[in-house]
Amino acid sequence: MGFTEYVSSNFSSLVFYGQQHFLLVLYSVAAATAIALAAGVLLHTSSVSPPSWSRPVRAGSRETLLLVSSAALTIPSLALFGLLQPALGIGIAPSLVALTIYGVYPVLRNTVAGLSSVDPAVLEAARGMGLGPAWRMVRVQLPLAWPVIVSGIRVATLILIGIAVVAASVSGPGLGQPLFTGLARLGAVNSFNQVLSGTLGCLVVAAIYEIAFFAIQRLTTPRGIRV
Amino acid sequence: MSDGSRPMIALEAISKTYPGQSAPAVRELDLHVPAGAIVMMVGPSGCGKTTTLKMMNRLIEPTSGRILLDGEDVTAVGGDELRRRIGYVIQQVGLFPHFTVADNVAVVPRVLGWDRKRITARVDELLHLVGLEPGQFRDRYPRQLSGGQQQRVGVARGLAADPAVMLMDEPFGAIDPITRDRLQDEFLEIQRQVAKTICFVTHDLTEAVKLGDRIAVFGPGGVVEQYDTPEQVLTHPANDFVAEFVGSGAAVRRLSLLQLNRLELDEVTVDGVGATNGHPTYRADADGRAVAWAHLPGTGAGDLPPLVTVPLTGTVYDAVDVMLEARAPLVAVVDDEDRPKGALRWEALVRELPTKGRP
Repeated sequence: MGFTEYVSSNFSSLVFYGQQHFLLVLYSVAAATAIALAAGVLLHTSSVSPPSWSRPVRAGSRETLLLVSSAALTIPSLALFGLLQPALGIGIAPSLVALTIYGVYPVLRNTVAGLSSVDPAVLEAARGMGLGPAWRMVRVQLPLAWPVIVSGIRVATLILIGIAVVAASVSGPGLGQPLFTGLARLGAVNSFNQVLSGTLGCLVVAAIYEIAFFAIQRLTTPRGIRV
Repeated sequence: MSDGSRPMIALEAISKTYPGQSAPAVRELDLHVPAGAIVMMVGPSGCGKTTTLKMMNRLIEPTSGRILLDGEDVTAVGGDELRRRIGYVIQQVGLFPHFTVADNVAVVPRVLGWDRKRITARVDELLHLVGLEPGQFRDRYPRQLSGGQQQRVGVARGLAADPAVMLMDEPFGAIDPITRDRLQDEFLEIQRQVAKTICFVTHDLTEAVKLGDRIAVFGPGGVVEQYDTPEQVLTHPANDFVAEFVGSGAAVRRLSLLQLNRLELDEVTVDGVGATNGHPTYRADADGRAVAWAHLPGTGAGDLPPLVTVPLTGTVYDAVDVMLEARAPLVAVVDDEDRPKGALRWEALVRELPTKGRP
């Protein structure tokens, strides 16, 4: 059976795996973004801790957090899925958690970079006009850092599309299913077609995300800073 | 301007010591800023003038001392509420790049909860005031403006909620000399209309003399060495530090700091109109421009010097230059249309130059 023939006869199941893959990445990126944004914003605000604390949580902890989240990225993906298995079992739960862990670092990194790239003069002017820390964060810092944050989310998404394949090793959803099955029985009938369709499926998912991010970046970048 | 008994801003024994430093940046400083006056804070770098300015709106919290705003002790009130009542303009402008010009100006009124109509009217009024046509500039973004235009918006934003007090930290410091000169003139014009109490930090003595009703000269260690009118600072420096800051060869340098429109000039009249009363008279052309001296007291008709002119916006230095060049004992000071407004005599230079208030 040729590849095109294989795809057309298995089209509906490939679409199903593709959808699973897409959603798995979507949920993990969303969770990772939420965690990274919260951590980035909290650590960027100088007064995280009440003034009564003798050792305030300071900017130095930002580097620590970046270090921890980047270290997480170096754990081999197959190992992480396996390590989560005793606690979370198999299937969707460990897949989501593992992918979220991998997704935090790129978003956090860009959140921190974006927030600290805001022109200090803009912030001084804002402070001088009596605008409070929350107003400054929501109306000034986040909008100005937003394009950088979005590109962090985009990088996280692309990384996760690749890693999400490994979810199949703990019976998770997604394009890893046909790919791993194919790999396990390489040489048998249609096994190569299976591997190829899983790989190309990832590319299609990535292309859809790229188009989406192009639109998001265009639409959510404030007009005054659009280049 | 008034030198009213109650100052708009009063700093009382204010000190600031930064954490980890033994010497204070500002030491036991007293400064009273009269309502409606422009007080220029000058001095070399690191002498605490910006620190002092930022303590007025508590961007920097003083270590000790009291701050009074219009008689009210504001040392302990909420910093953000205080800052909304005080205009603030900085050298780097710091416009919000993702806000339009109108939105930038409207920030504080919006936070204060003004209704939309009032905000729109106020924004247009302010853009007019700073010389930016609202229809043309309202919807632009900061990056579409030149440096000078950005600072105009910065000034409009500072004035937005109609604060009684404006704090300005070298607002024209990063602007090219020609534009700066124009902005300074416009700034004085705006001040004539809005009559705010203004504290203005600069390191440029020329700017301080041009704009200030009073000058506070800061010295090392965060103390005020002299606090007086520009004329007094130039002609009677309080101590060696101020004298040195004003400059060696100060007598000559002062000439370039003193603008002709701040001098009491000798009266001049057109030839043939009434009695001369001992004033110099000149012959004018059809447009009222002076062409030659007709009569100078104490000078014979055959010895009349050439008539040379210097614009009213020039400095005494320019006048001296013109007189030396033409070997004339006096110079006619003319307005924009070349009509003489007075004369400056060589002899007047070696007497104390009589000055008057801001025109």
